[in-house]
Amino acid sequence: MNNHTTIKTRREFLQGSLLGASLSWTVPAFLSRTFTTLGSEQTAGNSGNNILVLVQLAGGNDGLNTVVPFSDDHYIKARPSLAIPARDALKVSDEIGLHPALGGLRDLHDEGQLAIWQGVGYPNPNRSHFRSTEIWQTASASDINEKHGWLGRYFDHACAGADPTVGISVGRQSPQSFSGPRPLGVSLEQPETYRFADTDPAVGNMPSGESFYRNLNRPSMMEDEMKTNVGGSIAAIAGSTNSIHHPLDFLERTALDAQVSSDRIRAINKGSLNRVPYPASALSNQLQLVARLIGGGLPTRAFYVSQGGYDTHTNQSASHARLLGELADGIKAFNKDIKAQGNSDRVLLMTFSEFGRRVKQNANGGTDHGAAAPLFMVGSKIRKGLQGVAPNLAPTDLKNGDIKFTTDFRSIYAGVLEQWLGTKSNAILKWSGTAARIT
Amino acid sequence: MAHEMRLTTDMLISLPRPRWGFSTAAHLLNRAGFGGSPSEIRQIEALGMDEAVERLLAYDDNPVLTETPDWTKPDFDRAAERQAFRKATPAERKELQKTQRRSERERMTELRQWWLNRMMSTPHPLQEKLTLFWHGHFATSVQKVKDAYLMWQQNNLFRRNGSGDWFTLLSAVSKDPAMLVWLDQGQSQKENPNENFAREVMELFTLGEGQYSEQDVTEAARSFTGWAYDRAEQRFVIRPRWHDVGIKTVLGKSGNWSGNDVLKMIIEQPMAPRFITQKLWTYFVGHPPSEELGEALSKEFVRHKQQFRPWLRTVFRSEAFYASSVMRQQVKSPVFWLVNSARILQRKLPPNEASNNLLRLMGQELFAPPNVKGWDEGLAWITTNNLLARYNSAEYLVSGENPLRIPAGKAQKKGSPPRRLPLTGAVQLDSWLEEEDWVDAEHLLNTLEIRLFQTKLREKQRASVREYLASRLPLDTVDILHAIRLLMSTPDFQLT
Repeated sequence: MNNHTTIKTRREFLQGSLLGASLSWTVPAFLSRTFTTLGSEQTAGNSGNNILVLVQLAGGNDGLNTVVPFSDDHYIKARPSLAIPARDALKVSDEIGLHPALGGLRDLHDEGQLAIWQGVGYPNPNRSHFRSTEIWQTASASDINEKHGWLGRYFDHACAGADPTVGISVGRQSPQSFSGPRPLGVSLEQPETYRFADTDPAVGNMPSGESFYRNLNRPSMMEDEMKTNVGGSIAAIAGSTNSIHHPLDFLERTALDAQVSSDRIRAINKGSLNRVPYPASALSNQLQLVARLIGGGLPTRAFYVSQGGYDTHTNQSASHARLLGELADGIKAFNKDIKAQGNSDRVLLMTFSEFGRRVKQNANGGTDHGAAAPLFMVGSKIRKGLQGVAPNLAPTDLKNGDIKFTTDFRSIYAGVLEQWLGTKSNAILKWSGTAARIT
Repeated sequence: MAHEMRLTTDMLISLPRPRWGFSTAAHLLNRAGFGGSPSEIRQIEALGMDEAVERLLAYDDNPVLTETPDWTKPDFDRAAERQAFRKATPAERKELQKTQRRSERERMTELRQWWLNRMMSTPHPLQEKLTLFWHGHFATSVQKVKDAYLMWQQNNLFRRNGSGDWFTLLSAVSKDPAMLVWLDQGQSQKENPNENFAREVMELFTLGEGQYSEQDVTEAARSFTGWAYDRAEQRFVIRPRWHDVGIKTVLGKSGNWSGNDVLKMIIEQPMAPRFITQKLWTYFVGHPPSEELGEALSKEFVRHKQQFRPWLRTVFRSEAFYASSVMRQQVKSPVFWLVNSARILQRKLPPNEASNNLLRLMGQELFAPPNVKGWDEGLAWITTNNLLARYNSAEYLVSGENPLRIPAGKAQKKGSPPRRLPLTGAVQLDSWLEEEDWVDAEHLLNTLEIRLFQTKLREKQRASVREYLASRLPLDTVDILHAIRLLMSTPDFQLT
């Protein structure tokens, strides 16, 4: 995280705004100056600036109908009305095909830009949406409650002093993946509305209402730090508050992050365009924004987007096909856009879901909560094609009717951290297994 | 914190009489209701704590307060309409479905506003606050249920049974049509039981994750088979032929259990009273109880035979409820933020669609929780996105106008005269500002801080707003409205 942007810490922001405050409210001008210098440094070709885009498939994606073992009798038998027939599957090998709605991903496969990791899961799988999501978000063992997210811990270990935009979640909520001992990362729904909308402009030498908003949202704890600790280390500043879960401290930090990132993101979003058309879907809209922010040179390491609706207990055929179609078409457009920007070597997209679904379908044309499932990676620098070991579906090889995992999801995270984000994974994941070879 | 530790001998000891005053009364009204203007708080204060708590707890099961929408009455045309739909051609069906979707959307908008208005004006705010709790607890979304009538029914069920007996409520919710649709129970048959409801009833509604086994889930699911939803009549029905009459082993006991048997066995688990009281406490207080307090709360609930009303009486009178680590330390939920802000500013709610939009932008759309776990409360309400949404919603509430509709560049243009707001939808300051407030900035600050925060502002914030007011002299309505918006656009205002 050694870029040369002028404001990359809250502390520097604070110095700036305090300075600004005493010099007749020039904060906005001060900030915009920073952003113009920023764009040029961060664009294509900087190998130390790899980006991860995480796509959450919320609800538990039916892995078996996503990456389909179309010739497996156990599969066909377990799913009398749901099995994807061999003739419809988009074949990627003699035994494995993609769901027919995944044409977009098959195209990426044919271009050598898709990896399909099979049987990804963890020991003693939990079938609760919330607990299993938590396990994936925090990279914990299933019997350990880990509070912070795996990306939050990465930000903390490897991006200390970074701007809050080091992680961006598209949406209103902040994913648990981002939560950390010193929270970093922001969430935003749309850049256009991601601002303090002022209706009280400056007139003559009468300052605008917005300048007072900035002042009112400057954390008091940091002001105290400024007085006592000028010139001290950045870590000391961030570490000095031991009460980040005290509501007011938390609010103040978030308010400052909102202020800094709003200025920056809107400046970048304005100057950045999508270069290809995207299909119409909520996921597509999110990916479209991510592409613009990448194209505009935001120094973000991890983006987070999410697609819901995968909890298909009843009549899953139609809804599952629609979801997968939106997923594949959105990713394909995104990939093209990133390529047109010249950023395809820097961007790795990865999907995940809290669990797959039961091998056997239920009586309502749906599937209940299951265990291991495949995940996708998209990028130009990755090990492509089918990866890992296809799970065995013979009833004797299942556990409680569920697929046993063949690849631990933490080995994938370790691979991403080490081979993509360029940092050691052990301390971050608190896991000592072997990293998967993802590149 | 040290103060709370001393109470281990009697964790739920009552608040000492001398501590009852304006700020404790404000706290009670904020937490057990949706807050109020300074004069409403003073009325509560004058009652004394015990009487104030009794007033909050005393209400009929379901008083008629506001006219319910027409479509909440029994629909005698429904059967005929369904018949007509079955006979329709595919093209006609498409048209009918379109009409129906539109009418459902309109109904939901009406329903949301109906509920919000009830929160605004009810003489029994605790009833609505509990209804909101149960809505978040048995979190059911119209996005799947797709039937406003069912959502209204469920909402009324929470209102009717929300302060009564735990088993009665749980059992009624389990048979509630919206719930039957939401967690697929309505279609579950013995051949291949659907586990969705069986799992969530234990994990999220009664016991908590880890308090049951996977086998308990599958066996409970077998027991619940036959609890079905009659779509034509829009009601719960038992279908004996769908029910699995075999021996089921749930939570260590074997027998030919029915759904009701399983609910009884669940609620008799030692963890059950602990689970629900901890969640309620957290909702009203803002953070989970300590181990000892959690135990005391659970025992108190059992002592009252798992009745919520007497348990809540103990809670609202307890010193622990008024601890300094509790008062003004809870992040307002978006619904509270909206209703409370409108109440303290003594203004009407924004029109139907606008109210709902504000709530959606702040992260809490009624009848559409993100999933069956409901909304994550507390700090999770606050993200950079949602905080800015609150600040912009503040402008909307104060001026009656959406500030995002004004292009940023225009508003910021140097040298242009300050925009005079069209005041039709704005807060009517005349109805509560005092005469001195218009001429004395310090007086105005006092008035605003007590109304908006029910306490003193931090000096830093105070100085900043004082400076703002000084820069705008002489003050006119628009200046004061802007000042209120600024006060609402602070970290401090997000807490109650």
